[in-house]
Amino acid sequence: MTAAPPAPRTRPEDGPQLSSVRERLWEAVLDGDEYAAVDVVLGARDAGLDEETLLLDVIGAVQQRVGVEWAADRISVAQEHATTAINERAVAALSGAGRRPGARPRGRVTVTCVDGEWHALPARLVAEVLRLRGWQVDYLGAQTPTPHLIAHVHRTNPAAVLLSSSLPTRLPTAHAAITACQAVGMPVMAGGAAFGEGGRYARLLGADHWARDARDAADLLEGGTAQPYTSVSRQAVDDLPHLADQEYTMVARSRPRLVKQTLADLEDRFPAMAAYDDAQRERTAEDIAHIVDFLAAALYVDDARLFAGFLTWTADILAARGVPVHSLALGLDVLSRQLHDFPRSSSLLEQGASALAGHRPGSPAAGPGSGA
Amino acid sequence: MLVVDRDGGIVDLNDVARTLLPGVARGDRLHDAVPGWLTEAHRLLARGPQESAPGHRSGSLGDRVFDAHPTASDDGDVVWWLVDDTDRRLAREALRSEQERTGILAEVSSALLSSLNVTRCMELTAHMAADHLADAAVVIAPAQGRRHPLTYACKDGAVLQANRVIDPATVPGLAEALRGFPPVPTRWINPDDIPPWAVPAGFAGPLGSVIVTPLPGHGVPAGALMLLRSSTERAFSEGEEIFARLFAARAGAALSAARMYAEQADITATLMRELLPPTLTQVHGVEYAGSYRPARDNERVGGDFYDVHPGTDPSHESLVVLGDVAGKGLEAAVLTGKIRNTLHALLPLAGDHEQMLNLLNSALLTSHHTRFATLVLASALRRAGRVHLRLTSAGHPPPLVVRRNGTVEEVATRGTLVGAMPSVIAETTETVLAPGETCLLYTDGITEARGGPMGGELFGDRRLRQALSECGGLPAEAVVERVQMLAAQWIGGGRHDDMATVAVSAPKSGALRVVNGDVPIDGSEIWHRRKG
Amino acid sequence: MTTLSPGPFDVTVVESAPTALTVHVSGDLDYDTSEELVELVTRHLTRVGPAGEWEDLRLDFAELTWLDSMGLSALLMIRRRTGAARVTLHLDNRPDFLDRMLDVTNTYDHLTEAARRQDDVSEAGAN
Repeated sequence: MTAAPPAPRTRPEDGPQLSSVRERLWEAVLDGDEYAAVDVVLGARDAGLDEETLLLDVIGAVQQRVGVEWAADRISVAQEHATTAINERAVAALSGAGRRPGARPRGRVTVTCVDGEWHALPARLVAEVLRLRGWQVDYLGAQTPTPHLIAHVHRTNPAAVLLSSSLPTRLPTAHAAITACQAVGMPVMAGGAAFGEGGRYARLLGADHWARDARDAADLLEGGTAQPYTSVSRQAVDDLPHLADQEYTMVARSRPRLVKQTLADLEDRFPAMAAYDDAQRERTAEDIAHIVDFLAAALYVDDARLFAGFLTWTADILAARGVPVHSLALGLDVLSRQLHDFPRSSSLLEQGASALAGHRPGSPAAGPGSGA
Repeated sequence: MLVVDRDGGIVDLNDVARTLLPGVARGDRLHDAVPGWLTEAHRLLARGPQESAPGHRSGSLGDRVFDAHPTASDDGDVVWWLVDDTDRRLAREALRSEQERTGILAEVSSALLSSLNVTRCMELTAHMAADHLADAAVVIAPAQGRRHPLTYACKDGAVLQANRVIDPATVPGLAEALRGFPPVPTRWINPDDIPPWAVPAGFAGPLGSVIVTPLPGHGVPAGALMLLRSSTERAFSEGEEIFARLFAARAGAALSAARMYAEQADITATLMRELLPPTLTQVHGVEYAGSYRPARDNERVGGDFYDVHPGTDPSHESLVVLGDVAGKGLEAAVLTGKIRNTLHALLPLAGDHEQMLNLLNSALLTSHHTRFATLVLASALRRAGRVHLRLTSAGHPPPLVVRRNGTVEEVATRGTLVGAMPSVIAETTETVLAPGETCLLYTDGITEARGGPMGGELFGDRRLRQALSECGGLPAEAVVERVQMLAAQWIGGGRHDDMATVAVSAPKSGALRVVNGDVPIDGSEIWHRRKG
Repeated sequence: MTTLSPGPFDVTVVESAPTALTVHVSGDLDYDTSEELVELVTRHLTRVGPAGEWEDLRLDFAELTWLDSMGLSALLMIRRRTGAARVTLHLDNRPDFLDRMLDVTNTYDHLTEAARRQDDVSEAGAN
């Protein structure tokens, strides 16, 4: 359900009008000027641009650009929040129009983000597009704990649950949400960068469907989500037999200890770190925690590409900020010494290190899920 | 026993065989005398043993089933020993259908128990009944108002639901079944008496037989189930009637569990609506945003709360309240409800925060407990693009203000918590927000969030201030989202307390377009004004 | 960096003087444990001491690792009990986080206010 539209030039209907609207919205969003942003989208609608195009190819495209600009260190993370808030207002200004002319009323669906997911806009765009196409949509928003989602499903009996996630580190949580929905007989459509290229992790985690983007989600739903009467009860290990080795559990649970030890070992091997102040040490600890989180996610789905993709993306992010990338390789090395007894972890770290060694820093993608 | 020669002539038969094959005598041709299966078995045997499979050697004679065992003699004749297998077969048949039925019941139970939604349970019941028990099924739920929710299903067809005004008395046994009385035997029901509404659209052929059985709930009937079979099929047997009742017992239990859950969930939702934090927007030219994460994932409410009470008009102050009740969960939430209502009633006195707090304190005091609340009151008024704030803390962490340049200031207000001590004191402090500046009210769930990369550490004031220092010039929503996100990420998967934040901001860019400096506006209004 | 691991909760009561009870509180005083402290203190306050009535209750927080709002609520309840029994409450060896909380909520003076004993009252009346 990533709202990311294809690159602007590949869309034949992208006329000069569309790119000009997009450019004006970008300016307004960057200025933090919600009134100008709302003016741009409402003006474009009155000028005849349809709402779905506005949502996906204007607002969605601008949001995508926000991510890219952040990755390239051209805007701050706080600005990213501000631009998202402005974009949300632009979406709100367009919503409430009801379904578009000619769309027939359809069933009820639930759109939600995985718990721990803060990138709510892609799911919001999906919800708005489905509304335009005649669906009755319950949009539960960001940070929805799975028990809330299941209670909602019991109360409303939707035709399907659409689950959005952008961060690969949320995959274990997404898996829990998918199996919980299916256990109450609800088909799940997964979407968002977290689910990997071509939705490979959506399939791995047993999602009934995977949607490339908002239009794909709407088209799939219109085609019917099938299997309305089957409920499947299963454990995580049924989908992912490799979890039986407990490496994921072990790494995820000992995250604080791993971070602490890695930090201490790094200080031994990297004398410059002794001069770090508390804030610098904390930032280094956070970087290590990130590596551990992605290692755990890669262990969960048993896919070295997830970890390597994260590392090369991080290298690009660091390069864009003028931070030496070799600290990343050093971190991997220290971490692998602590995990040498764990064959899958060791192998992931090794493959990650060699991917990093062979990587030429380029312009970073918006997120670790979207580049890999 | 039957002796047959190579060419199929009957050489001999004993008395038992004569009884089984009346009118057959020596010299008759086998194919005139016995059913095809035995003639065929003899023909294959005569061709050679490799062509003769044992499976071909059983079949019926009259109303019983026999296995035929051949013994070849030297002269080419075959002695056929006929062994009666009827009873064993019946027993095996009964066992198989018993296993099938147990399987069906297990499937029904697990499918129905997975859902707590009434509509879905009725869909499942009709669907599975049509698939396993009959050609079509109708679930009739107890009337809601004057109409009965009806669920129709045909074998291999779609399920259809409708609410209709029906007269249960028009179907024999239905009115009784809806009251939970035992079912009327199927043979008493004349298919011609069934009214059209009780037959699903798309049901093929005239009705042959009908079962009407109650769906027994937990003490109260959960509805009734009708099973329909077309006249081209055989009528329901007694065994099937009994099985239908077993099926209905399971479906009824699941349906009534779902109904009880739905009723409880409705009650909870109704009571909860008053306790849920409100959605905040712009009021009288001041931006408000709030965010709340309860301590427990399975609850929506807890001990933190906030409200914005708009001033009667843009020239009057709006009152913002954010607070924290000792304890968590529903128990704490009930106390937050009391505080919110009391403050609402005290709004006319909001000009004097300390007086308001003293009145609130007296209203909350009880000899039963010392469950207290800490809170912050903020009165906000926009004048000439700037937001004037009067802030009072009642035992609560002081609010923080972030200026345009990123400077973070603590608002110097202090006071006593409310609800546990005979009287309280409080000092009110004033501050002014220029466009793009924000005042953040928060509960200690944010600063006392425990976690971080190495675990077990408090998020603390320093990190909160650091986060805020990056929020100069941001809209209120972005500030609230940023702070909540950082605290949530700090916690990771760990336990936490209730966490609430409210941001009060002076809008950055709205000032230019506001007529008289104090008109409440939203985006669409501006658009229309500009066009016009 | 303050790394606080939740300590196991424990309370021990000592008769530190003929008219004084000292309660050593260790671990986290929070949602799960505060009720236990109130019950224990109430039980001891109502029993007769070696010198008859108690005059002082000292809560010793040297080993306290954390205190949340329910913990403070417990202290306020204990203050009600001591007030009713005309016993003065003392909060000894307070860790920083406790001082901060008492400061923000403006409760220290109330909690530790000297109990007005009957003889005090009569003295006051005599003057």
